[in-house]
Order: sequence, then C-alpha cells, then structure tokens
Amino acid sequence: MSVRKTQHLGMRAIGGALILVLVVPIVVLIGVSLNSGVEQVFPPRGLSLRWYENLANRSGFVEAARLTLMLAVGSALVSVLVSLCASVALTRFRFVGHDVVLTLLLSPLIVPQVVVGMGFLVTLAGLGIFNSFISLALLHCVITLPFTVRVVLSAMSGVPNSLEQAAQSLGATPLRAFFQITIPQIAPGLAAGGIFAFVTSFENFTASQFLVWDRTTLPVAIYTSVQTENDPTATALSSLIVLAVVLFIAIFNRFVAKHMFSGG
Amino acid sequence: MHNKKLLVAALLLPGAAIIAVFIAMMASMVRYSFSPGGVSVIGEGFTFDNYWKFLSSWFYWSYLFGSLRISLYCTFISAVIGYSIAYAMYRSGPRTQLIFGAILIIQLFTAYVIRTYAIMLLIGKNGIINKTLLGLNIIQQPMRLLFTETGVAIGLVMVSIPFMVFPILASLKNISPNVEMASASLGATPMRIFWTVTFSLSLPGVAAGVVIVYLFELTSYIVPGLLGGGYADMIANFIYNKAMRSFDYTFASAAAVITLVLSGIVVLSLNKLFDRLTRHERA
Repeated sequence: MSVRKTQHLGMRAIGGALILVLVVPIVVLIGVSLNSGVEQVFPPRGLSLRWYENLANRSGFVEAARLTLMLAVGSALVSVLVSLCASVALTRFRFVGHDVVLTLLLSPLIVPQVVVGMGFLVTLAGLGIFNSFISLALLHCVITLPFTVRVVLSAMSGVPNSLEQAAQSLGATPLRAFFQITIPQIAPGLAAGGIFAFVTSFENFTASQFLVWDRTTLPVAIYTSVQTENDPTATALSSLIVLAVVLFIAIFNRFVAKHMFSGG
Repeated sequence: MHNKKLLVAALLLPGAAIIAVFIAMMASMVRYSFSPGGVSVIGEGFTFDNYWKFLSSWFYWSYLFGSLRISLYCTFISAVIGYSIAYAMYRSGPRTQLIFGAILIIQLFTAYVIRTYAIMLLIGKNGIINKTLLGLNIIQQPMRLLFTETGVAIGLVMVSIPFMVFPILASLKNISPNVEMASASLGATPMRIFWTVTFSLSLPGVAAGVVIVYLFELTSYIVPGLLGGGYADMIANFIYNKAMRSFDYTFASAAAVITLVLSGIVVLSLNKLFDRLTRHERA
C-alpha cells in the first residue's frame, strides 16, 4: 500500500487538479448567490441571503418546483413498477422476441432529446392536446423507463429463481414467494432505479421545453430566467438544488456509486 | 402453457404501452415531416419538399457540419481529460476514489441548466477567469469567451466529463494487475507498459465514453443556448427555433429526422472504428 501511495504521484496530482476545476463553477455559483447587490460578481460584494428570501416572492419558481417534483416522483414510481413487471417476464420466462422486447424498452435512450421533444410536440399539437401536465407526464415516463429497466433488470438477474422455487416447495403460493423472497433482495435495485429516474426527470430540459404550454418545469424556468433577466434569484434557487444534491450524495454516496453502472 | 403466455403478456403490457406511446410520437413526426408546410393534420399530403429544402441549402448543412465539428474536438478533449481523471482514480486508494466519485456523481445529479449557468458565471466578461488573468497581468483586456464558440466548447467539455470518466474507470478496473507486472518483469519501461498494455486494454471503456459523449454533445441544446447566446447555435437550437419561434413544424420535423439519422450514422461509424481498434486485443 505504501508503495502505491508514492507511485504515480504526478498523474494523481493532475487528476486531482482536473477534478477541482469541475468544482470551481459550483463554488462560484454559490458565492454569487450570496451577493447583497444585484450585480452577479464573485467573490460576492457583501454577504446576504436576500436572494434566497426573494425566492418566496417568485411564485413562478414555486409553481415550477411543484410541477417538477410531481413529475419526478410520479414518473419514478411508474417506471420502477413497469420495469419490475417487465424484468420478471424477462428473467423468469423464456419467450420468442425476448431480445427485441429488451431493445425496445431501452430504445428511448438512443434518440436525442431534441428529437424526442419534437416528436411529442408535433403529435400532441396535431391531436389538439395542449395540456402541459398530461404531455410532460407521458414524456417523463418515456425518458425515465430505460434507466429503471437497466437497473431493475440487473437486480432481478442477480436473484436466482431457485430460492422462489424452494419457498414454493415449502408450500408458499407463487405470489407470496415472489413478495417475501425476491422483492426484499431486489429492494436496493428498485431504490437505485427510482433515484436515477427521479434525477433524469428532475433535470430534463431539452425535451420538456417543447411542451411548456400552460405550465413550466424548474429547469425551463431557470433557463428562461437566466436568458431574460439579470437578477441573482436564479443563482439562489440553483444553489439550493446543488446543496440538496450534495447533501444527498454525502449520505448515500456508497449506495449510489455501487448501483451507478450496474447493468450499464 | 396457455396460462404462461398470458402471464408474460400481462407483465409486458405496461412497458409496451409506454414504448408504444414513444414509437407513435416518433412515427407521427416522421410522417409529418413529409407533409407540405402549413398542414396541421398529421397524415395529410405527401411531399419531399422539407427534406429537399434542408439538404439543398448550404446554410442548413452548416448547422450539421458545425455541430459535428465542434463536438468532434470537444469529445477528443473530454476523452483526454476524462482519461486523466479516471487513471488518477485507478491509481489512488479507495478513499480518494470515493471522494472523486462523489464529486462526479454530484455533477451528474445536478441539472445541466444549473451547471451550464455556473460555467456562464465563470467565463463571463467579469467572470473569475478574466479577473484572474487580468490580475496576473497575463492579459490586458478581458477575453471574449461567453457568446463565442470557445465558450460553448468549454461548457461542452466540462458538462460531459463525468460521462467519460465512469466507463473508462470501469474498464481500467477490469485489467488484472498481473498483466502489468508480467510486462514489467519482462523489462518493459513504465511508458511502454502504459501504452501497449494498460491503455490498449482500457480502450473498450474509452469507446463507450466517446460514443455517449459524442452523441450528447452533437445534439446538446442548453450549452450552446446559454453560452453561445445565439452566436454559436448548434443543430438542436436550430430545430427548436424553427419549431417554437417560426412555428414551421413540418420543416423542423424534417430537420429532427435528419438529426436522428445523422446521430445513428455517427454511433454506427464510431462503433465500427473502435471495433477495428480493439480487434487484435480480443483475438
């Protein structure tokens, strides 16, 4: 171990410096949000939390946050449940077209977001559906599904069917065996899938921006605010989101890192 | 037997419903791209005009070529930086790996809009890059980075680095340490070991990272939108502006279909290229 510590020091220093470069923008963002004036400068001139307080006056942001959270939680739940059903079929049964089904379930991943958004826009507009909630709910289920399928399927593949069969031979019904034996074992996979779906939905911008007819999502509201106004309130909102992510990763880092690329 | 088929069908039904929605949306967009301009009912009329208009004009091609060019060199820079970070992580202890990993996952979990906004504050006229360089007397006047292609390139690279690091790190970790020790014991210099053994064996990870990042950068909207400010639009900005500012849905649909085909070609050619590069490893 001590040999390893002195080896490759130069390379490790370069890597560390590059990682730090990635952190700088985030630090600047939080610094700017603490400015006491309207100027967006770093280091901040005079510290204050007035832009955070100002968030309460921005009903647009509050409204957008509510819709974004609703979409993220809803699409994560739907995608995890749908992936669970599909994964049971894919791992427990042999059937014709197995690989085709898997490819189709993952297919939204390979289509660029701007093309997905365009497809939803022209189709829904053609049908006369200009309801942002319904449109975004459909869109977010589509874009989160591949992520949950990958994670849940890989969790299911790790649980041998023999355990369920053993439970059944001891008299459990197939349904009871599934819920008491398999579900507890894949629970971490389900949670990880839900987290990735939540994040994917929460941060989606490029496809969602085509569908914000009567309501808007948080990323779209932030983008519009950055483009059209010169007011650090958007930095305060962005800093809050960053802090929430940092807090979450500080607690669940090991768990997230472990599941990050399972099945990927 | 009959029961089993029914059960499989029932289990696949919810997923099939969601994918059916997706495919229907894509199919109707493709159909709509063949409609004459001004038609609002999908399925009415048939013409190649939208494609002809796009493909016969150098002005429209320039969006495709511009996007291909900028994402080509940005992917290369991202690969070099991403590889350096992954290699440093691979050569560090578990604690450092966990901390570096946490920083990268925080990046991935923070919305692109927010990360791009943060980069905007960094490279602006009064951003800290200009302030530092002015303060150190390296430059006399603030550099124009924001609203130029350079600014967009900086943003694209910074935003896509996490996508590059994780696949490369995964393939580095797959290399057995014995291989390196064997080549060292046969007298290879550290430099030679790195290029002929370590780097070659990590190529599949590089390939995966390059494909993901190239596709992501080629069709990115937020970075050129915020950091280019209309002066460095890429193909995704073009499609959005045609649809949402000019309301030319049929033409925008054709541009989207062309973009989809282009990204398909890019992925297939990259896969073929890396297949050739790594063939001798697997043989």
